[in-house]
Amino acid sequence: MTDRLLQRQASLLAYLTSAAAIFGEHAGASVPRPLRGIEPHLLHLEAQFSYDKRMAKIAGAFPRTFAMLGDDLDALLREFVDACPPVDISRIVNARQFHDFLVARWRRSPPEPAYLPEVAACELACGSVHTAHDGAPAQGAPLDPGAPAGSIRRHSGVVLLRCAYDVRPIFEDGGEDAEPVARDTPLVVAVPVGHSGPRVAELPPVVFDLLASLDEWTDPSAFADTAEAEELLLDLIDHGLVEVRA
Amino acid sequence: MTITSGPAVGIGYREIIGDWTRANLDRFDVLEITVDHCIYGGEAQRAAIFDLAGRLPLTAHGIGLSIGTDVPLDLAYLDRVAEIVERLAAPAYSEHLAFTRVPGRDLANLLPLPKTEAVAEAIIAKVRTVKSRVPVPFLLENITYAFDWPDSNLSDAEFLNLICRESGAGLLLDIENLHLNATNHGFDPYAFLDALPAGLVQEVHLAGGVTLQDEVLGRPFLSDSHSHPTPDAALDLLGHMLTRQQPAAIILERDDRLDAVDEILDDIGRIRARIAAARSGQVHDRPIVAAAG
Repeated sequence: MTDRLLQRQASLLAYLTSAAAIFGEHAGASVPRPLRGIEPHLLHLEAQFSYDKRMAKIAGAFPRTFAMLGDDLDALLREFVDACPPVDISRIVNARQFHDFLVARWRRSPPEPAYLPEVAACELACGSVHTAHDGAPAQGAPLDPGAPAGSIRRHSGVVLLRCAYDVRPIFEDGGEDAEPVARDTPLVVAVPVGHSGPRVAELPPVVFDLLASLDEWTDPSAFADTAEAEELLLDLIDHGLVEVRA
Repeated sequence: MTITSGPAVGIGYREIIGDWTRANLDRFDVLEITVDHCIYGGEAQRAAIFDLAGRLPLTAHGIGLSIGTDVPLDLAYLDRVAEIVERLAAPAYSEHLAFTRVPGRDLANLLPLPKTEAVAEAIIAKVRTVKSRVPVPFLLENITYAFDWPDSNLSDAEFLNLICRESGAGLLLDIENLHLNATNHGFDPYAFLDALPAGLVQEVHLAGGVTLQDEVLGRPFLSDSHSHPTPDAALDLLGHMLTRQQPAAIILERDDRLDAVDEILDDIGRIRARIAAARSGQVHDRPIVAAAG
């Protein structure tokens, strides 16, 4: 194949992932030169099929966020499409792209309701935890070959979130319309032992801080220096929040 | 012509109905495993898939190669495919004759290639690379497409035949894709089937999609959604194909409305009935097709 074909393929993907192609704004606008001769409406159909598949992944990861975005959703998705073209087939990568986009947008324009960033962060955390729980190849946190057996760290499938609102009621059955209370809330998102899906729970600040400090494999004696601390550590291990290096 | 031995019939394994599939293994002769689910899926998903090895025959199908992207193949990916294929004891590995991505952008959707001799030559070279890394027969699958490139000067059958003949690849014939393309683009699917050399089709895909009413096109447009029962028109094509080809496996693909398992089992029954009809020589004459091109 020639360089020219790669250029045409790149041009095609750039066009198919554009808002113009996806939302059918091709009428009156010319398609890129390398795509001349292809029926623009058929390109629109192809773009729409691909967009629908991608958005099904993203909407599946952010059901509550999508519902809360309400009337803003359509305009926001058009903006997202042009700002963040798809770079990966996986659901979690597309979800992270969407979340990053939302966070950047909320820096410019405060969200409504104000607790929406917490809800979106929890939903992304649930997706990440689900992926990690299913044992997908680890992203980051590579195994430290120097860490001795018996070292401890926060489980790689656990996400900690310090939220300005207590959004937990929203994640309970029938809690879609709950009004979160504004207060500093240290949350953990994890799959509890014996469960198949992620749960959102509040942690005592001291436990949150302990887990936050366990990014790397650590000698447990640094923490379990009292009977109470040792009991806490064992409890965290039992609940799957801390893992022990074999 | 009477078929003397029948192909294995099964479904594409999907995690979301994994428990149901394992509880109904006796309904299938074969399962198709998506190798990318083994490569990128989680430990639990991989364990569930590998646990099936030895319980019934498995075939290996890929969605992540993007053989048509005009860049060198990802050899590391192919080596992982080879490991998976070996672990599944799969008799063949199939992929789509398509491209899905370019550097920096991944549509995650199959796109057509210009059907020209130059592109065919490049694909032939890539198939040889695949065959050198994955030690089982390699099959290419025909895709469905909404549009064609204006410089395509070979028919679908000519393009596939050229690549398969020169590279030694077999064909995974997606009959639903053939049905969709023939309907959407106005060609005769039976002429396509008759143009394939006997013995080329090694495996078959069947599925059911939806019909979109498109005001701009002014005609219905069939979409390959893998969401509904296989249409009778596709099963008619299957019957006709079986008079000339002897595929080893026929796989029903389902990716949406997976809770409608009764429809899946019903489709399996309909496929088996068509195979039985072909074996007894009871294939109806080809329907009169309003071919437009």
